[in-house]
Parts: sequence; structure tokens; C-alpha cells
Amino acid sequence: MTSTIAVARPEVRLATPVLECRNIGKEFPGVVALSGVSLTIRSGEIHAFLGQNGAGKSTLVKILTGVYRADHGDVLVDGEPLRFRDPRDAEANAIAIVHQDQPLVAQLDVTRNVFLGREITRTGGVLDLSTMRARTADALRQVGATFDADTLVAELSVAQRELAAIAAALVRKPRILILDEPTASLSDNEAELLFGIVRSLRDAGVTIIYISHYLDEVLDLVDRVTVLRDGKLVATMDVGETSRAGIVQMMVGRDIEQLYPKETIAIGEPLLEVRGLAQGNMLRGVDLDVRRGEIFGIAGLMGAGRTELALSLIGALPRSAGSVMLRGEPSSPASPRAAKREGFALIPEDRRHEGLVTDMTVRENLTLPELSRFSRFGIIGFRSERATATSLVERLRIQPPNLSQLTRNLSGGNQQKIVIGRWLAGDAEVFLFDEPTTGVDVGSKVEIYKQMIELARRGAAVIFISSDFEEIAGMSDRIAVMHKGRINKLFQPGEATPETLLYWASGSADEVMPNADADASPADDAATQMPSATAIASGAEMAASQSFWARWGTIGGMVVVLTLIAILAPQFLSLNNIFDVLKQGSVLAFIALGLTVVLIAGGFDMSAGAVSQFTTNLAAGTMIAGMGSAAAIGLGALIGLLAGAINAALVLVFGMPAFVATLGAMFVAMGATLLYNGGQALTLSNQPSFFFIGQGYIGPVPFVLILLLLATAILHFVLKHTRLGLRMYAVGQNLVAAELRGVGRARYATASFMIGGLVLGLAGVILASYAYGASALATGIDFLISALAAAFLGSTFNRAGELNVVGTLIAALFLASLSNGLILIGISSQALPGIQGIVLILSIALGVIHKRGIGQVLIF
Amino acid sequence: MSVSMTSKPHPSSAAVIGLLRDYGAILGMIAVLSIFWYLKPAFLTTGNIENVFRQSAIVMIMALGLTVVMKMRGVDLSIAQTADAAGLIAAMLIIAGYPVWMAFAIPLLFGLVVGLVNAVLMAYIGVPAIIGTLGMMFVIRSGELMATNGAEPQILFTLPRGVTRNFLWLGQRDFGPIAALIVLAIAVFLISFVVMRYTRFARYAKAVGSNVRAAFLAGIDIRMTFGLGFVIAGVLAALAGVALVSRTGIAMPRGAEPFLLDSFAAAYLGTLASRRGEMSIPGTLMGALFIGFLGNGLTLLGLGAPYRYALNGGFILLAMAIGALKRRN
Repeated sequence: MTSTIAVARPEVRLATPVLECRNIGKEFPGVVALSGVSLTIRSGEIHAFLGQNGAGKSTLVKILTGVYRADHGDVLVDGEPLRFRDPRDAEANAIAIVHQDQPLVAQLDVTRNVFLGREITRTGGVLDLSTMRARTADALRQVGATFDADTLVAELSVAQRELAAIAAALVRKPRILILDEPTASLSDNEAELLFGIVRSLRDAGVTIIYISHYLDEVLDLVDRVTVLRDGKLVATMDVGETSRAGIVQMMVGRDIEQLYPKETIAIGEPLLEVRGLAQGNMLRGVDLDVRRGEIFGIAGLMGAGRTELALSLIGALPRSAGSVMLRGEPSSPASPRAAKREGFALIPEDRRHEGLVTDMTVRENLTLPELSRFSRFGIIGFRSERATATSLVERLRIQPPNLSQLTRNLSGGNQQKIVIGRWLAGDAEVFLFDEPTTGVDVGSKVEIYKQMIELARRGAAVIFISSDFEEIAGMSDRIAVMHKGRINKLFQPGEATPETLLYWASGSADEVMPNADADASPADDAATQMPSATAIASGAEMAASQSFWARWGTIGGMVVVLTLIAILAPQFLSLNNIFDVLKQGSVLAFIALGLTVVLIAGGFDMSAGAVSQFTTNLAAGTMIAGMGSAAAIGLGALIGLLAGAINAALVLVFGMPAFVATLGAMFVAMGATLLYNGGQALTLSNQPSFFFIGQGYIGPVPFVLILLLLATAILHFVLKHTRLGLRMYAVGQNLVAAELRGVGRARYATASFMIGGLVLGLAGVILASYAYGASALATGIDFLISALAAAFLGSTFNRAGELNVVGTLIAALFLASLSNGLILIGISSQALPGIQGIVLILSIALGVIHKRGIGQVLIF
Repeated sequence: MSVSMTSKPHPSSAAVIGLLRDYGAILGMIAVLSIFWYLKPAFLTTGNIENVFRQSAIVMIMALGLTVVMKMRGVDLSIAQTADAAGLIAAMLIIAGYPVWMAFAIPLLFGLVVGLVNAVLMAYIGVPAIIGTLGMMFVIRSGELMATNGAEPQILFTLPRGVTRNFLWLGQRDFGPIAALIVLAIAVFLISFVVMRYTRFARYAKAVGSNVRAAFLAGIDIRMTFGLGFVIAGVLAALAGVALVSRTGIAMPRGAEPFLLDSFAAAYLGTLASRRGEMSIPGTLMGALFIGFLGNGLTLLGLGAPYRYALNGGFILLAMAIGALKRRN
């Protein structure tokens, strides 16, 4: 259905369409996301896109901004049909978007984030930071932000990030500005401020497309609304033409069909009692009771805190306050595993990433949580496992009924049935269904509903979380509506309709007046369940103290260590010794610098040490052949660049994980080294000009140290003050955010590998000069660990914890002084590698211990 | 519905391509070995083959542990050093006159402890495995250097036969008709195969490797599972180290280090045996044997370590490129 209710009132100004969609269609495998959507956006209006989850709003916006390409239809800007290939094409047409989840690079400051992808530069790609900072400050003032442009995004609250994202859109001077759920994370005051900004932008001639679930604010703010439902356009109309109730009607659309196999089941005693449950800022005190045999609906829009409720019940998120009683006994599981033993079962919201293990078969997935039932002494009893899986497949009508099919290839409905089915073999009693029917076909939906009823009949408590208000109304007994982390309405069985649910879910919690013209307004006597007051520990404070320790703890530790050494061995601080240490440390520091550059955007580099060692040998060989220092340096640089290019090609062209590609390259470089030197040391003598590089002094200062400081300064400048460096960091730290700004990975990862390779190649030449030739030992991996230790230790000095060359330099020189000092105080040189290893582990452990993760290598 | 078959133009040629994709790499390995055989017929004599099997046994035992860790998206760079130190401990115990059973038990205990420390670091503290195990590798190396006073070899074969005979039996003698070392390798392989196919640990490990978040929410003890992988790798590495010293009769500090790279090569080459380019226990066996034959063939041709390194690296890259193509399909 694509009928547009045209509103042809004479007083409507005859505005020209600035943006027009004609018959837009978009399909994803198995889903028609949009079909036949035609609409026009007039110049200088605020136009809202409304619709339930899955209605197609986001897809439409992504087509308008070049993230997706439409399968059918045209997008016209000023009457010209345009094809956007990527976000930059949209930006070139002055279309800017503020994405819902504010993809920003946390480790960069606000200015750099705001201008990422559209940097202001002087000649040679040098960032014009003062101009950018001034404009960012302007934009921040315009949006009423109180933080300044130099703040790191990591230090901003969610609401402040939203403001930064809006500022980023504003500096692009858009003609069309798209705001996707901009108020979801803002407080009411902040939202009011935002509305003021939006209105003043409109008055300045900017056309605004506004997407929101919160109907109240939409009706106050916008000029026209377009309602989408199931990927089709329902209507576009003036806001004066419609009412909140009318819009709700259009968004929900049909009556409740006979889709819902609801049955009356005797409700038993209370099973789960939740009091004042809070979780960070997302869940602000929730009370609820769920009884045996009850299907308890929780209706709420995205960000209402529904998922946090489920996760904090099963111990997957830490609770900040509140208590839970299960069967009359306190329940606070420390992990989902403990929750499983208590009788909780979660069907998570994101089926593919949190529910299924898509690389496993139907059988393996179906028995995953209850596997201990089928095994004795750790050995799986395949016969009983298969029998259970077979009966579950039959019971849930999973298609195809093939136990050894990989779940990756199943349809959404069948995948979801498996995620549900695997809890049916056990004896869980509290079932948390979090959005179980998104992206699921109608047949599977009915199957899922039937399973919920079956569970309720068995005496389980079923908590049914959904933003599809039809199914919530159709399937639940009592229903709680969540909004901004609280329950703001509790419906008794039979009271709720999709309209009333949407009404409460999209309204603000402190709203008192029901809309007079809406016949869908809730009954006045319906008691709202008041949330308990909770003291929520400020997460920001905790983070601040953590980052203080992470940043100053290591530097303090280093100072203490060096002071101790100086006390125990006073000669440590003699000028001669200091310059000696700096000279020794410089060679390693060069390798560490090269590695740091690769780590910034390239992923990982196992080959760093081996490449340097290879060029050491080449340089020594070149000198022995009498070709002179220039040839040695040139060859080293060239081979380093080449190695970087090869690594980049392996990673980018073949899609190999950086670890493996560079591991292979490390082997090859080691082999090449041995081939070249035939297992013999290449010793140089009588090459004073070449030896000057590594061994010479200018005054009392070692020449190699001067070189090192120079190289660090250049690299620091490139990384921190040029467009290239900014984009390398962005790609390495948040690829999604970078790509949304039109900054692709290939170019900047290649730059990272090649610049790093160049430094590594030159480091090898310097090593040849420092060590009077090349040794026969394969020391590539030794260099690698020292360089890694320096790079990661150096990253802890930085306030964002990001890899940076200055930190690497300091850390490398520290490691050299540590080795020197330990030898001076009489510790065996044999202990040094171990001490380096411990320093490496400790410097990393400091940063990761609070993340509660496991040390998987995600770069494979 | 099923008439869509006709739209595929040449089903037979597609089948050939599919076969090549699945088995081409294995055919390639056989082709490489055939070239060696053609150039040096001695390559395929029984004596040489048994020799290669013995050599490969040690790499295989180490690589199997690595495979278990890597299937969970971990990595253990400390295995070669663990093997090295375990061998060293065994040799020092024999030299100091301790009973033979202790020369086997204490190194294995050492491997267990290393594995446990790794497990705590990676699985419970969350240190990235590349960094944590690299650090562990260097800690062990320091320990070895200090224990041997700067890498003095611990020589067993100059000791009286009576002292060393029982210890060297594992690496040098036969068990019935077959070399004891090969019997050990077969046993380790079979145990690993059974463990990684029929146990709950294997299932959990697979879940942790492919979707750790889903595994966590399904109530699996992901830390215990991930950590157990490092324990297995540590113990197997120690076993390999003892077997190595028992075979050669000498414990050279840092002598086992090249086995790290061989183990990686074996595990990655093993991905060629899988349709979807995954690591597997049989695949790693195959990879270890290929690495063994390759090294042996190169030695017979008079081509030494440089070629081994370069070819190992080249084969890893080749295996990964083919794996990427398989998954793209």
C-alpha cells in the first residue's frame, strides 16, 4: 500500500521538494525491508519518519545517506536523480546525519571526531587544528554543550556524545540534516535544548528529517510526518492534520489477528519478585512480581532498559541496586552459569550474536546449555543427546529437520526456535524472552508463542519482552510498560491494546495529562507502579579514578624503579652511563617506533623484528661489498617499504588476519636472512662514516639518539597533526565510525604498514652500524618482544591509552635503563628477558583487568 | 522447484572445481613430496620414513596443544620455551642422579604449572594471549639461562649407559616393532582426537571459539574452558620437550625454539584438510607430517634452515589464502 494522503491546503507554502524518493525498494536476504516508498521532503521543513521497529525507517535513512544502495527506485536531490555510492557522496550533496548510537572514535578528542573525514588542512595534509578547534567550539556552543573541543570523547557522557555528534553534523553545513533518535539518551532539559537548536536550524533554512519513537516531542516539533509500516509507506501528512492517536493507529495498523494462540492458564504463586533493581543509567529501579503460569509482558522501545533488566537478572550485567527473590529465596547469580543453576533461561535479543553459535550444528546448539545432562565423566553420550535433539526438532518443527545442518544457514525463524529449544530440555523455571520474534516469519512466530504457553502451563514464569506491541497485547497476561529505565505503567490482563502500550512506551514518564482527543488514552484508574528510589554509583567517577591509575600508575612505578636503582648503584646516574644507556636503547626504540606505527592502523605485526634483522644483514652485506652508506640506507628503506606493502597486501587483498599474515612474513624474512648470510655473522670493520650512525657522538650526545628524537618528532607530527595520521588512528580504533565518515580501511592500513615498514627497515640499518655488522643469531623474535613491551607500556602513558610514538620512545628508553641498572646493581643479564616479559604482562594487565574479558585474540 | 539445476551450466566441471578446492591443497602437498622422491629416491625408504615420523612426533605433540588453544581464538607462544625447559629439567634430574620416573613426572608438572599460570593470565585476568604468552616465553627463557649458567648444554649421551638407558628408551628404542616415540605420538594423537570430538570440553571450546558471548549467555564457564586450553598446551609441550631430549640425548637451552614456528606451520597447514578452512586435530597431524617430510627432503637435497623457514612461511600464507577463498565460496 503506497497511497500518499496528499494534503493540499491553500495556506501551505508552495515549498520546493529538496529531496524526493520515488518508488524506493530494498531487500535483504529473506526480508523485504522497503518496497514502493515514494515521498517528498520540502525545503526548510522538519519532517518526521515514524514507525515501529522494523518498519523500515533506518533502512530508508541509510539509503538517503549512501550507506545502503536501493534495489529499486530513485533518490532525487533538487530534482536531480543521484546515486550515492558511499556516505561521502551524500555529504557532498550537503546531507548530514546524526546516527542513533553516535559512532565516534573514543580515543580522539572532540575536534578530531567532529572533522574526521572532512578535515581542514594546510598544504601537505597538515591539520589546521586552530581553525578546526575554533569551528568545533562554535558548533558546540550552538548546541549548548558545556565541554570544550579538546575533551576526549571517551570522557564524555552519552548525552554529551550526542551533542558532539550533532556538532559534527553542523560543521558540515548541511542543507539536509537527518537526526536518528537524537533524544533517546538525553534528559528532558537536554532534549528541550536540542529542540531549540533544531528549530533555529530550520529557521536558518536547513531541512531536517527527524526520527523518533517519542511521539509527544515529534508532534510539538515537526511540520510533517511520514508513517512507515512493514517497509511500506502508510501516509505523509501535515502535523496539524493528525493527532497522536491517529498516528499510533497508523503505526500499528491492523487489529489483533487470530495470530495469537493465547490460552487461559491458572496463575500460581509468585515465583520471581524484583524490588528496586537498577543497572547503571539504563535501569533505574524496577519492581515486578511474576507468578507461575503467567506470561508477563514487558513492553518498551529500544533503550528503555528492557534488555538490561533481563541481563542483570541472570548476572550478565552487574546490578547497582535492588534485590531479587526467586521461589522466596534471594537470588543474585554471579554469572549466567549460576543463573542457569537457579533456573533462569535467557533467549537473548540479538539471536545471531548472543544466542546462536552459528558455526555449530543444530544438534550442538540445541544441547549447549544442558550438555551436562547428556554426559558422564565429561564424555558426551551421543545417543541420548541425539534423541533429545531429535525430539526438540520435532516439537518445534525446525526446518529442515536435519541435526547436522550448520545453524548459520537456517532462516531467522528456525534459528530462534533453536535458541528457545535448547532451554526446553532442562528444568528452568523463569524464561526471559527478549524480542523473540524480530525477523521471524509468521509460522515460526506462532510456534514460538505456543512454546511460551506450553512453558507457562508447565508452571514456569515467562517474561516476554518486546517492542512489537501487538504481540505483547495479544500474548501476555499482565503487562508492564518500560520507559527510560523505569516501569511507568502496569496493565492488568485484558486491559492493554497495542495503542495504549505504544502510547505509554513513547510518552515521558512524568507525563500527567492523558491526551484529551485520544480515545486510546489509558484508563485513569490504572495505577502506575512507582519505581523505587535508588542510589546509583556514578560510573563516571569510577572510570576517572581507574584512568588516573592507568595513566600515572605506570609512570610513577617507573620513577620508583629508576630511583631505587640510582640509590643502589650511584654510577647509574653518571652522565657517561646515561648517554651510554640512551645509545643502547635507541636501536631498540627505532624498532619499537616502527612497530607502533603498524599497530596503530594495521592490526598486528609479528614480522617487525625479523624484517629489521633482514635489513641489518643487507646493510652489512652492502657495506662489505663496498657500495657505501647511501646504498645501505637506501636498500634498507626500500626493503622495509616492500615488506610493509607485502603485509598490507596479504591482509587487505587476501583478507588474512594480520597475525597470520605477518607470522608468515616473519618466517619468510628469517629464511631470507639466513639465505643471505649463509648462517655467518657479517662483521664490518673500518667503515668510520657508516659507524658514525650508530656509534658516533656530537659533543657528548650519541648521534643515534639525535636521529631517534628526530624520527620520533617526525612520526609524532605525521600521526597527530596530519590528515593521514588522524585517519590511521580512526581506522585502527573504530573502523565502523571511520567508514560512516567515508574513511575506508584499505588506504590507511596500507599507509600504516608501509610507514612502519620504512622505519623498521631503517632501524635494521642503524643496528648494523651500531653492532659493527650483523650477528648470525636469529634474534627477530627477541626484538619483537622488546618492541611490543615498549609499545604497550608506552600506550599506558597516554590519557586515552592509545598507542603513540612518544610513549613508545619513553618506554623503550626506560626498558634500556632498566636492563642497564639491573646489571649495575648486580642482577644477572640472564634475568633480563624475564623481567621484560613481566613488565610486558603487567603493563597490559593494568589496562585489561577491569574489563572482565578473556584474552582471546580477536585479530585472527 | 528443483528445475533450477538446469541453470547451472556445467555441473561436472563445477564438481571438479569443488574437488580441487577441497582436496587440491592435499594433492599439492603430495606433489611437493613426489618431487623430493624423484630427486632423491632415498626420501621414501622405510628407514627415512621412520626417521621423519620420529622427528614429526615432537612437532605434532606440541602443535596439537597449540591447535586446542587456537581453536578457541587463543594463541600460545610459550609452548616451545616450555618444551625446552621441560627437557632441560629432565636432563638435569638424570644428571643429578634422580630416578627416571621423576625425570618424566617433574617436567610434566612444570608444564602443568606453566599452563595454569597462562590460564590465570589469559582466562581470568584477560591479558591478550599474544602478549601474555610472549611474556611467559621470556620469563621461562630467563629461568633456563640462570639454571644452566648461560645456556650450557646438559649432555646425557656421555653418561654411563646404565644411568640413561631407561630415560633414553622413549626416544631411541622400540616398543614392540615400532619406535616408542611413534607409539607415544599415536597415543597422544588418539587421546587428543577423542577429547576434541567426544567430550563436553570440546563442545564448549568450539562455542568459546566461535561465539564467546553466546557461550557466556548460555551459561558456559568460558573462563574455565579457555584456561583449560592453555593447561593442555602446557602439558603437551612439556611432554614434547622430554621426548625431544630422550631422542637426542642432549638438552640445549633454547634448542626447542624452532619448534614454535614449526608448530604454527603445522596447525595452519592443517586447515587445508578442512572444508571450511578450520583447524582440526587430524589436520594438525597432517600438517606436522608434511613439515617433517619437507624439512627432511630439504636436508637430503642439501638445502638447510633458510629454505625451511622460507617455505614454512610461504606455506602458512598459502594455506590462509586458500582458506579465505574456501570461506568466500
